[in-house]
Amino acid sequence: MAALSDIETIPHHRETRANTLHWALAGALVLSCFASLQVGATDVTLSTMLAKLIHGETLSQIERVVLFDIRLPRLAMGVLVGAALAVSGAAMQGLFRNPLADPGIVGVGAGAGLGAILAIVLGTLLPAWLIDLTGNQLTPFAAFLGGWGSTILLYRVSTRHGRTSVATMLLAGIALGALAGALSGILVYIADDTQLRDLTFWGLGSLAGASWAKVFAAGPMILLAIGVSLTLGRGLNGLALGEATAAHIGIDVQRMKSTGILAVAGATGAAVAVSGGIGFIGIVVPHLLRLASGPDHRTLLLNAALLGATLLILADMIARVVIAPAELPIGIVTAVLGAPVFLWILLKRRGLVEL
Amino acid sequence: MSLIAENIRVSYGKREALRGVGLTALPGEVTAIVGPNGSGKSTLLGAITASLAYQGRVSLNGRCVERMKPWELAAIRAVLPQASRLAFPFTVIEVVRIGLQSGTAGDRPEVPMQALARVGLAHYAHRTFQELSGGEAQRAMLARVLAQVWAPVEDGQPRWLLLDEPVSSLDIAHQLQVMEIARDFARAGGGVLAVMHDLNLTALYADRVAVLADGERLAFGTPAEVLTDETLSRAYGCALRVSATPPSGVPFILPHAASA
Repeated sequence: MAALSDIETIPHHRETRANTLHWALAGALVLSCFASLQVGATDVTLSTMLAKLIHGETLSQIERVVLFDIRLPRLAMGVLVGAALAVSGAAMQGLFRNPLADPGIVGVGAGAGLGAILAIVLGTLLPAWLIDLTGNQLTPFAAFLGGWGSTILLYRVSTRHGRTSVATMLLAGIALGALAGALSGILVYIADDTQLRDLTFWGLGSLAGASWAKVFAAGPMILLAIGVSLTLGRGLNGLALGEATAAHIGIDVQRMKSTGILAVAGATGAAVAVSGGIGFIGIVVPHLLRLASGPDHRTLLLNAALLGATLLILADMIARVVIAPAELPIGIVTAVLGAPVFLWILLKRRGLVEL
Repeated sequence: MSLIAENIRVSYGKREALRGVGLTALPGEVTAIVGPNGSGKSTLLGAITASLAYQGRVSLNGRCVERMKPWELAAIRAVLPQASRLAFPFTVIEVVRIGLQSGTAGDRPEVPMQALARVGLAHYAHRTFQELSGGEAQRAMLARVLAQVWAPVEDGQPRWLLLDEPVSSLDIAHQLQVMEIARDFARAGGGVLAVMHDLNLTALYADRVAVLADGERLAFGTPAEVLTDETLSRAYGCALRVSATPPSGVPFILPHAASA
C-alpha cells in the first residue's frame, strides 16, 4: 500500500498536455491569422498597413479593399470552415465509435454537393424574382438544404424505435452518398461549359469566393453547431465504451446521438455550402490530436476547432501563394498535404481499421 | 431496498429467450444467476439493466427502473459487461475515470487509482487499454464499475454491482480476487447480482442462487438448497453429482463425477 500513495501523485499526463495544447493551438491560430492577412496576390502587406496606421497615415483605397473586403472575410471564412470541418469530424468519429468516420462518409457532404450542383445547373430555370432574391446565395443555400435533407433521410432510415444503429447508419450513408453522387453525375452531364467550370471549382473546394455575405450566412450556423458539439465531450467519452455501457454510466445515449448528428450536419452543411468539398481536415486533425494528447473528447473537440482553423488558413495561404496571381483550389492543397498524413496514420496504426 | 425483477419476458424474433422469470436480490448479499449456455442468464441481466427490450417489471431500491433517468440509475448501480471493445486509445486510468464522470464520486480524484489498486492493476494505470490482455481488460473494467459506485452504501441507500460473467477470462487467483471484491462489496451493505458460469465459485461466494434453464427459473435459494443433484442435472441435461466440503458443507461439483 506504500506504493499506492506514490502512484496517486502521478500527474494526469495527457490531460495536462491537452490543456497546454489549448493555449499552444490558440497561439498558433492567432499567428496564422496575422500571416494570412500579411500575404496575398498583391504587394499589400499587413505590416506596412499597420506601420502606416501607427504613423497616423491613412490607408489607400486599394489597401482598404484588400484588407477589409478580400483578406478579412476570407480569413473569417477559413477560420469558420476549418473549425467546422475538424469539429464535425471529431464528433462524427466519436458518435460512430470509429476513428475513420467523417461527415463525408455518411452522405452529408454528398447531399450538400448535390444541392449545390442542382443550384448551379438548374438555377437559371428558376423564376426571375427568386433568382434576384437569392442572388449569389442560391448555391450555398441549396447545398445547405441538401446536407440537411440527406441527414434527415439518413436518420429516418437508420433509426427505429428511438435507437440508431451505427452500422445501419454507416451503410445507409454509403448508399446515400452513392445516390447523391449519381444524381450529381447526371446533372454534370447536362451542364453547359460555363456551368461545368463553376462545378469543377466548387467541387474542388475553395475559399476564393469568400465575402462578408457568405461569412454571415454560414457563420451563425457553424458557431452554433460547434458550440453544441463542445458540450458532447463527456457523452462521447462514454460512448467510446459502447452504447450499452454509455447508458449504464448515466448518459442519455439517444438524445446525445441525435444532438450530435444535428450538430455535425449543421457544421458540415454550412461549411460545404460556402467552400465546396474541402477534404481531409475532418479526418486528419482529430487523428493528429489523438496522437498528441489522447482521445478524451472533452479536450479533443476544442483542440480540433483550433487546429482545424489553423491548418485551413495555412492551406489557404499556400493555395494563394504557390501560383500567384492565380490560385489553387484549397481542396487540392488539403488533399495533397492531408492524404499522405492519413495514409501514414493508417500504416502506423493498422489496428484502428479493425474497430 | 432491494432489486426486484418480476415476470421478465424477452423475445429474440420468434424465440422466447425468457418466459416470465423473476428474482429478488437483497443488499448485503451476492446473488448469482447460473444455468447452461443459452438458458437466458445474460438476457435476464440485460433486461434488468435495460440494455434490451423486455416485458415485465424491474425495480431498484423501491423505484421502478423504467421511470428513472439514466443518470439516476448510474448513481446507484454499475454494470460490468461481458466484453468491452474500446473505440479509441484511452489509457487504463482514463477508462476508469470515464466511469466516474457520472458517478457520485466525481469530486474524489483519488477513487480511480484506488479502484485500480483494488483489482491489482495500479501499475498499469498509464498503459493504453488496448495493450491489456483479456483478463486484465476485464479487471480494468471492474475497476471502472467499482469507481462508479465506490461507496457500497450512500445516503442510506444500498448501491448495486451488476456483473455479467465477471470471472470468465480470469486465472484462478484472479477469479478468487474478483469474487472476494464482490463479496466485500456486499458485506459492506451493497448488493451484487452476478451471472456466473462456474458452479463451484458460485457455491463458495453466492448467498443466493437462481438456476435458469431454457428461459425459465428452475430454482432459487441458498447454494445448499439449489445446487442439488436433481436441480443441476435437470438444468444442464447431464447427470451431475454434488458433493460437500467436510467442515463447512459448501457444495462442490466435480466434472469427473458427471455422466451424460
